[in-house]
Amino acid sequence: MSVRPWMMGRPAAQGTAEHAAEAGGEFDMGELIMHHLADANELELPFVGALHLPTGWLLDAGPLGVIDLAPTKHVVLMGFAALLCVIFFLPLARTARKRREGKAPGGMGGAIEAVILYFRDEVVRRSIGHGADAYTPFILTLFFFVLSMNLLGLVPWGGSATGNLSVTAALAFCSFIVIEVSGMRGLGPRGYMRTIFFAPEGMSGLARAAMLMIFTPVELLGKLTKPFALTIRLFANMTAGHTLIFALGGLIFVFMNILAAAAGVAVASTLMGTAVMVLEVFVAFLQAYIFALLTSVFIGLIRHAH
Amino acid sequence: MKYWNDCARVAVLVLIAVPRPLLAAEEAEGGGAALFDVNLGLSLWTVVVFVLLLVVLGKFAWGPILEVAQTREQRIQSALDEAALMQAEATTLLEEHRAQLAQSRRQAQDIVNEGKAAGELVRKGIEEKARSEGQALIERAKREIDREKDVALDEIRQRSVDLALAATARLIREKLDPEKDRHLVVGYLDELSRQGEGQDGSAGT
Repeated sequence: MSVRPWMMGRPAAQGTAEHAAEAGGEFDMGELIMHHLADANELELPFVGALHLPTGWLLDAGPLGVIDLAPTKHVVLMGFAALLCVIFFLPLARTARKRREGKAPGGMGGAIEAVILYFRDEVVRRSIGHGADAYTPFILTLFFFVLSMNLLGLVPWGGSATGNLSVTAALAFCSFIVIEVSGMRGLGPRGYMRTIFFAPEGMSGLARAAMLMIFTPVELLGKLTKPFALTIRLFANMTAGHTLIFALGGLIFVFMNILAAAAGVAVASTLMGTAVMVLEVFVAFLQAYIFALLTSVFIGLIRHAH
Repeated sequence: MKYWNDCARVAVLVLIAVPRPLLAAEEAEGGGAALFDVNLGLSLWTVVVFVLLLVVLGKFAWGPILEVAQTREQRIQSALDEAALMQAEATTLLEEHRAQLAQSRRQAQDIVNEGKAAGELVRKGIEEKARSEGQALIERAKREIDREKDVALDEIRQRSVDLALAATARLIREKLDPEKDRHLVVGYLDELSRQGEGQDGSAGT
């Protein structure tokens, strides 16, 4: 059996396929895809195989019910992504600090600095305006964290935590908190309340009450739609790309029983899979960028509301 | 206070309870459930990891990198400002020098003109003086000549009287009364001299 790049390090998946092929039974493509996309309690490592993660770290959170704090595969990958960010950026920052005395930037630091300054000037300052610099670290962290999680989904033995609704929802929640807090700080208590209970100026009495009745649900919905859109966009994009790649890979096993067709399908889906993989690299950057950009746009919007 | 607590509890329960049957339904269908499964623990982990990363990177990465970039930007900006300032200064200096040069040239021209004028004046003065002195010399010479001429004429008159008297006396000494003769001759000579003066006046002009 040939090992496709996207299949490497998936002993369980291969095992499933092998079992299916050996048994002559039906190959379950859904299971193959879900195995890659879904969270799990085990970690697949090169040369070691499956590493079982601890389970049952239950926390009784009162009305929220029981929360399972056990580190799952996505928790580990997320932590690894964060660690990668730290490993990558801390030496760069040290180099930048060292060469500050009248030296031109260069090398990797120069390239990353260009990205950082692009975010500061073109994303954060442009969409937030006055007082934007305070949000630059947040937006930068958001971008690089999401990006590294996205990219981890493309490497063997990896998986993208951003293809999990719980993760994207939590990230969008962080964005939501920052957006609303920035609104409160930028507009003051009265101004902030006007972003919820909005009635046009110059109306009085009944008309005003009617407008309040109409606008308040709209404003509230508008507030909640933004993080919801962030959540779904990132999740759907990451999930869709991975699903496509695995569907293409899975086609080979679907046609396993017809040997003549299998060869042709294998070549075609390998080529297609590679092309989609290249697209996925682009999408990984694009979605991270969109998440960061939209968050800063929302911050800018609420700070200049009405 | 207790009222708000109860409200919050109800709201959270509604939020939790609504998706559960949906998820359960999907679970019944098979693998689809895991995809849309919401794991609060994972969300909590995400927030924790993200906040930790934000703190660590903010303090040790973004802070220094952005600060270095900012100081460099300021340095470049100040260098540019300085260059612009220096250029403006150089331009004004050049203008100043140009103006000074023009002024110097004008001044030099003025000096030359003044010198010329002064020279002209001096020349005219000298000429005038020379002319007047010459004139004075000529006048004096004329006066001298006139005086000499008068003296000479007087002498001639005296001599001619004496000569005429002597000649006349020698010719007609015996016949004539000397006193009467003298009177006659003097009268005649006076007449002559009157005639001579009239001629002199016409010759003098």
